[in-house]
Amino acid sequence: MLSLYVPATGWLHRMPAGPKLAMLALVAMAVAALPSTWVTAMVLLLPLVLYAGSGMGVGRGLRVLAESVWGLRWVIVVTAAGQLIFLGLEPAVANTGRVVAALLVVNLVPVSTPVSALLDALERGLAPLARCGVDPGRAALLLTLTITTIPVIARLAAEVRDAQRARGLRPSLRRGALPLLVSALRHADDLGEGLAARGIR
Amino acid sequence: MSVIRCAGLGVRLGGREVLREVSLDLSARTIALIGDNGSGKSTLARVLAGLVRRTEGDLRVLGCDPDRDPAALRAKVALVLSNPDAQIMMPTVAEDVALSLRAARLPRRERDARVEAALARFGLDGLGDRPAQDLSGGQKQLLALCGAFVREPALVIADEPTALLDGRNARRVADHLLADAGHALVLVTHDLALARRCESAVLIADGRVAASGASFDVVDAYEEALAC
Repeated sequence: MLSLYVPATGWLHRMPAGPKLAMLALVAMAVAALPSTWVTAMVLLLPLVLYAGSGMGVGRGLRVLAESVWGLRWVIVVTAAGQLIFLGLEPAVANTGRVVAALLVVNLVPVSTPVSALLDALERGLAPLARCGVDPGRAALLLTLTITTIPVIARLAAEVRDAQRARGLRPSLRRGALPLLVSALRHADDLGEGLAARGIR
Repeated sequence: MSVIRCAGLGVRLGGREVLREVSLDLSARTIALIGDNGSGKSTLARVLAGLVRRTEGDLRVLGCDPDRDPAALRAKVALVLSNPDAQIMMPTVAEDVALSLRAARLPRRERDARVEAALARFGLDGLGDRPAQDLSGGQKQLLALCGAFVREPALVIADEPTALLDGRNARRVADHLLADAGHALVLVTHDLALARRCESAVLIADGRVAASGASFDVVDAYEEALAC
């Protein structure tokens, strides 16, 4: 499993996971609710300020921000292209800016919170659902494993591309989809067996 | 009490009979399961761990029926797989060991103390904050052992735990598994020298028990069969 966590001791890292999750979720929702105008594109300054001022150090924070933006490059391209075709330039820039800003703000949660603290916070937050028959521990573990598995899927995709190159093939989405699906299913099997091996049902 | 007691145990997987008429009564502390690839020994290990359901026969593992009382079995048994990557779930070493203790719902201080003690026992102290994926293959297998042993199981089932390791790391892992630390061990292995270090052994061939008894006798019988 891989983590997006960046060790640091700034205010955001010291903040308890639950309130931090709630605060950043509210900020992301507020960003998502802004109108589609040119001024809205200014919302991209928000992640810039938050990453630089999160207590990781300005340079380090901006480096983490740059890596996160790079990780979102295809989301940016696809969102902007789709909006540009169907809605025009102003809504495309504003909507893409809102989506990217919201994702970058939410990304600060795994960046500033150890996975174990996130797991504890989710379990506490989901506790009221126990009345509806939901097991908060299992639900929190499922959500946490989902978050930590995303980079694993990216690694599996890279392995599939490498395997294609090793056989002299040009990596392609069409040829790579099936092997990636098989690898992902095999990983899910391993994960299930690994959980059972540790006595987690 | 018997570690494993089974009579007429059979398992079918995908329409194929993988285990048949397996009858054993073993009370040794360390038990090796040996046999050719595809003989059914890993399936037997998974049946004992409650990961695969039997299709016929009776089975008790430390007195528990894995199919009827899986929760009691989970509390007593830990499984270690040959590929440690399949068992590492959390980003850092300490977080991964702590994951095994979540079900016990211990206070954080006690949980941290047990994690620290387990890391020290397996020579991983000082690596708690390291990303688990950055460890070497040997360290990863030690981490998998650590995740299994931190729960203080009564029985550890290890499926070829040294298969992917070099000689030095294989020896370290084997020493930890075979150490008398209050747990019983069922060890699936192709390493016959390692099988000889167990008290008793079971030779599985074509899904059946071909021999069982003192490990030296069973391993000698298997080596004779290989020489023919």
